[in-house]
Amino acid sequence: MNPFNHRAAAGAVLAAAAWVAAAGASAAEPIRIGVAVGLSGANSVVAPAVVQSSQLAVDEINAAGGILGRKVELDIADDASGAVGAQKAYDTLVFQKNVDAVISMETSAARNAALPVVTRGRKPFIYTSFYEVHSCSPWMYVNGWVPDQQVAPVVDYFMKTKGAKSFFLVGNDYAFGRGMLDFTSKYIVLHGGKVIGEEFLPIDGTDWTPILSKIRAAHPDALISATAGGAPNVSLAKQLKGSGMDVPYGNLAIDEGTAKGMGDVAAGIYMSGSYLTGIDTPGNRKFVAALRKRFGNDTKTPNELSEPQYEAFYLYKAAVEKAGSTDPSKVIAALGTVSFDGPRGPVSMNRSRHTPLAMRLGQIQPDGSVKILQTFPNVDPQEQCPNIK
Amino acid sequence: MALVLDILTTAAVLFIVTAGLMVIFGVMKIVNFAHGALLTVGAYASFVVTQLKLNPWLGAPLALVVGTAAGMLVERVIMRPLYKRPLDAILATWGLGIVIGQLVVMGFGREVQFVESPLKGAMSVAGTSYSAYRLLLVPVALALWASLVGLLSGTRFGVKTRAVIMNEDLARGLGIHSGRIRFITFSLGAALGSLAGMLITPLASVDPDMGLAYLVNAFMLVMVSGESMTSLFVTCVVFGACQVLVSTFVSPVLGGLTIAVLAAFTLRIRPRGFSHG
Repeated sequence: MNPFNHRAAAGAVLAAAAWVAAAGASAAEPIRIGVAVGLSGANSVVAPAVVQSSQLAVDEINAAGGILGRKVELDIADDASGAVGAQKAYDTLVFQKNVDAVISMETSAARNAALPVVTRGRKPFIYTSFYEVHSCSPWMYVNGWVPDQQVAPVVDYFMKTKGAKSFFLVGNDYAFGRGMLDFTSKYIVLHGGKVIGEEFLPIDGTDWTPILSKIRAAHPDALISATAGGAPNVSLAKQLKGSGMDVPYGNLAIDEGTAKGMGDVAAGIYMSGSYLTGIDTPGNRKFVAALRKRFGNDTKTPNELSEPQYEAFYLYKAAVEKAGSTDPSKVIAALGTVSFDGPRGPVSMNRSRHTPLAMRLGQIQPDGSVKILQTFPNVDPQEQCPNIK
Repeated sequence: MALVLDILTTAAVLFIVTAGLMVIFGVMKIVNFAHGALLTVGAYASFVVTQLKLNPWLGAPLALVVGTAAGMLVERVIMRPLYKRPLDAILATWGLGIVIGQLVVMGFGREVQFVESPLKGAMSVAGTSYSAYRLLLVPVALALWASLVGLLSGTRFGVKTRAVIMNEDLARGLGIHSGRIRFITFSLGAALGSLAGMLITPLASVDPDMGLAYLVNAFMLVMVSGESMTSLFVTCVVFGACQVLVSTFVSPVLGGLTIAVLAAFTLRIRPRGFSHG
């Protein structure tokens, strides 16, 4: 052989070796999933549960061999429950840490600030919180409920079982509060009821006194509220109870964890949701037991805002496995076709980027637990994002 | 009738929450931005009482003790070195508020806590059913006002304090130990803040950030009131009434702004605010 062939052969071997080394390196490289959550601010009350759900999912997935043989790593960032914090958190996760995907439970304000960042960074984004509808992006999937799924059980129950005709709506003045009550109002009128009052307090407001006086004066058959989670729910419930008014009260934004922390103040409140710890499915019993085992005495009550986070990790895993890689466009295409049978039952984000869900109507008991009164299987989220394929 | 009760009880809550801030501001001309954190501390004192399954009313003495201790410690360690620098002292109290908030998180966690209410249920007043606890706060606020006025005008301590309020250098020239007055005043202000936190727990969500929402309004009220407890009382009634009226007849969102807007307006046209001098 002439010397040129020697060098060419050596070069080819070296290139092949480098290629194998690189491929080997990326195979061992972990998949980083960013989680932005309100560790401070309005959502700080529910954030610990969200973090626990995420950690449990990651631990379970890694114990089973990871995704496509790669370990999953969590990258948690504080979005301070608002737009400003979300901007910082997402800039860090998407551009600095260069995560492979983002799976977040956050306020609508934070989500709306996050979407442009996620779009610029081209990262698959699974939003796991319930919200007030119509948030659409080619890079986002949602596995939380939308009003089309959550409001109906409460209003139907009040109208049919309590014979309610007139409703008073109360909320916090932001995207979720306004959006939910807007939808509720239309739904009530569509089904023959009347909305005799609609009042809003700023998101950090603590004094419901004037609104309670208006409710007292209006004598509604039923009261429905859509406040921010955590503190506003508590102050409204406490002040409502203190006022002595006895009106059927449906809370569209309460979760079991907050309910437990309210003692007997929350007793009697109606709520509807896709997740309750009392759901009697094998998937849920396994989930709750696994949480208790992993976190012991520190276990935070899993709830509507934290459980979908757990499922979202499994949905992402299924999508990556189906796509065969973490390539964002392929994963986005796959996310709409995979499903996961989890604590809430089967979940599949195949309906206009959202998922049909089994909704449960419950009533909070004096000990803070929730008694499930009725289950509505496979409730359609309707066409939320007609312009996104 | 409900409207009148709303106004009275709102004014009472405003006064109770602001009294502690006023005591410190009047004497030391410093706005204690840790006041919100002290409210939180008092509320958590109530929480401890609930956890120990004791009578909820015991929250009051416990809150006072904890507030006084905190006040004494803070005055010694943080405020004293900053006497000549009031602006820095104000900043220091803001930082202190953050620190106290985080200590609460470390000690109790971030969740909303359940606190047993000392008085539950509603009472019937002139045909209207109204929250009994809110009604109770009206005589409590009046008693607080009366004791503070009595303290300031009827005791030796009160005379010395008023002297320091009017002119600290002159007072020291007359032999009044202004350092000790400041120490006692700050501790009293912290104790009152803590007590206020305990008193509002049946109305509010007990979580680490709860005090902050009250801080801005308290600050506005103190700015407008000047120096005396009575002018604070009057301000609370007037501004409280306006807040309730705007919330009831316009919208609660604008109602939340009322106190801030009125304070700015009042100070613009009458820089002395509601004070007499």
